[in-house]
Amino acid sequence: MRNYYWILLMALGLFALAQGDTLPGVVQEGNYAPGTLGSITQPLPASSQPDSVYSVGAWPTYTPELADGPGKELVQGYCQVCHSSTYITMQPPLPAATWDAEVKKMINTFGAPIPQDAAAQITAYLQAHYTPETRKP
Amino acid sequence: MNISKKLLERALGRREFFRRAVGVAVAAGLLPLARGQTSAQSSEGLPSFTGPGANPYWNGVNPFVTYPQKLPLLRLTDRGIQLETPRPYFRSPFTPNEAFFVRYHLDLIPNSIDLASWRLGLEGNFDKPLAFSLDDLMKQFEPVSVAAVNQCSGNSRSRFQPRVAGGQWGNGAMGNALWTGVRLSDLLKAAGVKAGTVQFQFQGLERGPGPQGKGSHAFMKSLDSNDPVLEECVVAYLMNDEPLPMLNGFPVRLVVPGKFSTYWMKHLTWIRALTKPDDNFWIATAYRIPDTPRGNTTPAEASQVKTVPIGNVNMPVRSFIVDPDGSSKLIMGLPSKIRGIAFSGYGRVTQVEVSADDGKTWSVATLGTYNGPYAFRTWEYVWKPQKPGKYTLAVRATDEKGNVQPDQGVWNPGGYLWNKIERQEVVVGTAS
Repeated sequence: MRNYYWILLMALGLFALAQGDTLPGVVQEGNYAPGTLGSITQPLPASSQPDSVYSVGAWPTYTPELADGPGKELVQGYCQVCHSSTYITMQPPLPAATWDAEVKKMINTFGAPIPQDAAAQITAYLQAHYTPETRKP
Repeated sequence: MNISKKLLERALGRREFFRRAVGVAVAAGLLPLARGQTSAQSSEGLPSFTGPGANPYWNGVNPFVTYPQKLPLLRLTDRGIQLETPRPYFRSPFTPNEAFFVRYHLDLIPNSIDLASWRLGLEGNFDKPLAFSLDDLMKQFEPVSVAAVNQCSGNSRSRFQPRVAGGQWGNGAMGNALWTGVRLSDLLKAAGVKAGTVQFQFQGLERGPGPQGKGSHAFMKSLDSNDPVLEECVVAYLMNDEPLPMLNGFPVRLVVPGKFSTYWMKHLTWIRALTKPDDNFWIATAYRIPDTPRGNTTPAEASQVKTVPIGNVNMPVRSFIVDPDGSSKLIMGLPSKIRGIAFSGYGRVTQVEVSADDGKTWSVATLGTYNGPYAFRTWEYVWKPQKPGKYTLAVRATDEKGNVQPDQGVWNPGGYLWNKIERQEVVVGTAS
């Protein structure tokens, strides 16, 4: 019931404000709260030499966790040979048949060396966590 | 389009325009620019995905991330790298390099390139195969400039219903830049194209760990040798008058005005004259559209419909509302500037219309400076709402060929060619 606690505080604040110290038109003021969306650090400038080599630093990865469940390690092991699992988490919830087709495409079209048994488990994992029926926020 | 010295001279004028536009934007207090979805609150984040319904937001819902030579952009995927440009950067007619979107297919891409050993090679069915250093390209050929929009084939894919797999872009997989470099046709002339050449294949420094012969091994694209666009292509070593960021194709990339990005090969390193049509995955299987009006089909018919490479068409006409973005209430009786950009792969945008009643009635917007047939054209329309309430703004563009944006979406399994009329909901409050 933490929410109510804050509402009570705010009501008390508004009540206090209403006791004569209000500014014209101000409905609320001085409302601060800890930022929850995070901050992004600025990069330090990099140095380079006056030669023919043009370089940038490592490509950073920002890969969110996959859902926990059977088959997760297989997905991490096989799928991430070629691409990170953001290729999974970025997708909208896709029907089970689409995930089946995607895994088959990776094997047949792109040549991913995934044994049949592992492929079946990978498909089952994706269907268990990333369909309209199963995907969780 | 006429790429000539004259254009280069005019480009100098454009550069000045660009500088001023940026200066004005900064002076007007439009910073901080590093925002995707803006909102009147900042404690609750967007969901981490959308669907199975259409993504309702202007950009995709992905988080801000930092990459070398880039301001915070929206991360779709991190290996291969796909980054979307946040909406506010489209206020200017030229998209800043550090905010320009990024789209790779494979994960082996360069971090470091030595121009002492890098060469652009012309090989295959040429009289004399050649290899040029960047210095050769800069000194041996007349520089030309073209302002052109680079737009991903799948820009706005997250609007599709039903949703399709692929990069879930909002509207930010596009950008306009002034590209300066060498005419592709000058290079082809220098090497001498032999009879029997049917296509030119372009390959850059983008590879993957997949087996040889598969799409997961190398990214390559081809254009027909009789495609008129070849005359307009530029091998660009400058982007908005600066070297290309590594993630946008340093040291040179192919610029294919009017066509989708997939042909704009980054880190271009090989040009091959082919005597047989390219059958590599990225032409024969990927980036294909139904051979139907607008590339439209249905999930039921998709597997039977005849397909063609997306390079067979140019980018359909589009327009976008950049402001207002809905993060602030508008004030009744005060003029509000509705503004944005428009472009078409078929040439000059001739008219942009704005609606404040969800597309029932339309008013003509004022167009900004003309920067060439394939560039963004800015537009604005001053709207003075006279009643409080909720409004749905809409915008539609017309190009010089008479193409008008439709109010129907398109559907194909690749998620390509979206150009439906864009909308923005706004709330108008009273002034007293």
